[in-house]
Amino acid sequence: MLVEPGQKAKIKVKVNGVLHEVEVEPRKLLVDFLREDLNLTGSKVGCDTSTCGACTVLVDGKSVKSCTMLAVQADGKEIVTIEGLSSDSKLSPIQQAFKDNFALQCGFCTAGMIVQTHYILSERKEITEEEARDLIHGNICRCTGYQNIINAIMDASRRMRQ
Amino acid sequence: MYPAQIGYYKPDSLGDALDFLEGKDAKVLAGGMSIIPMLKLRILRPKYLVDIGDLKELSFIKEGEVTAIGATTRHRDLASHKIPGLELIQETASKVGDVQVRNMGTVGGSLCNADPSADYPAVFTALEARMVLRSRSGVREVDANEFFKGPFSTSLKQDEVLEQIKVRSLKGYYQTYKKIVRRAGDYALVGLALAIKLDSGIVKDVRISFTGVDEKPYRAREAEKALMDSKLDESKISEASNLASRGANPPSDSRGSSSYRREVMRRLLKNTLEGILNAS
Repeated sequence: MLVEPGQKAKIKVKVNGVLHEVEVEPRKLLVDFLREDLNLTGSKVGCDTSTCGACTVLVDGKSVKSCTMLAVQADGKEIVTIEGLSSDSKLSPIQQAFKDNFALQCGFCTAGMIVQTHYILSERKEITEEEARDLIHGNICRCTGYQNIINAIMDASRRMRQ
Repeated sequence: MYPAQIGYYKPDSLGDALDFLEGKDAKVLAGGMSIIPMLKLRILRPKYLVDIGDLKELSFIKEGEVTAIGATTRHRDLASHKIPGLELIQETASKVGDVQVRNMGTVGGSLCNADPSADYPAVFTALEARMVLRSRSGVREVDANEFFKGPFSTSLKQDEVLEQIKVRSLKGYYQTYKKIVRRAGDYALVGLALAIKLDSGIVKDVRISFTGVDEKPYRAREAEKALMDSKLDESKISEASNLASRGANPPSDSRGSSSYRREVMRRLLKNTLEGILNAS
């Protein structure tokens, strides 16, 4: 694929199960593509420097920071955002665990936290609290409500094993 | 923040990438963890990006007496793979950035970015790795020590791509990478890559390399010399730690002052060597 500066690239991406064939400028970041072109505003732009993790989405099942990925890099890949984690208006067990453990204050970091938790628990079923802290350290909560977030992750991992 | 307007080329093979790179104002994109932030800050404004991130031919770990690691191998893949005789690489990969960064970022990308505080440059310098650089006109190998020229600067030419890194196995060496950070996920304030071979308490070989303390990886040759062929004991450890920290000229920045970094270096090397002494 060759796209000259100023031209748009044709890409095919599956987002939350829906295939999109769209044209994007190569400089467009994945998070802006999701928010502006697809109106999926669940993923947030927090720091915009790949530090805070509020923009975390799954690309081919792996969590990435969508502010530090170009939409063209996602060509041919499958993306899941926070909007794709629940079905039939029912919360996923992880979302439910976040709700039940009061694991959000302002809520800005929550979408990224929940997507990252999905990734962590898809990789391993059992997890210690120490591991959870290490694996979620790419997500920052500026309200500093970390204890309840850790509680929610541990609770979610218990629920998913049942 | 948007990067400036840019062209994009996604080659089907390394050969296509090399053809395209020749004579063009283009930058190679692998995982993007270093280059995309720089494009967003508009520190870099190339005309084209050449996206080699999905080239399967560059993503591999071939173990052997000399292990070859493909340049676009993800940190995640290195972190989940123990290479016998090179356990240090797995340990380092698992300490890079955070989970999301390790899912995207590549070992070659980190090396070519040559951030003076990055983890791999010090480690591959300690391992005396060979960097295999390919262009349309051929292939050449450069010692890691020669590869890093200064902050964000390497001996890679405009039309070259880092293809793989070759590392000789260090079986029987105690190896570790220790990193001191102010907060989880930060770049290293000081990082120490250490490989040491002991025989009945005598140091038979040792490599000591630091990150975050100079414009490029700092190999503490004086400290290595002091340890070589000596018995590893408290006084030798003190001497080597002092030599290593005295020989460096660390920068002062928001992460720490020069003298603070020097003290962290000294203690990091001292504690690590003492740990080895107590375990052996």
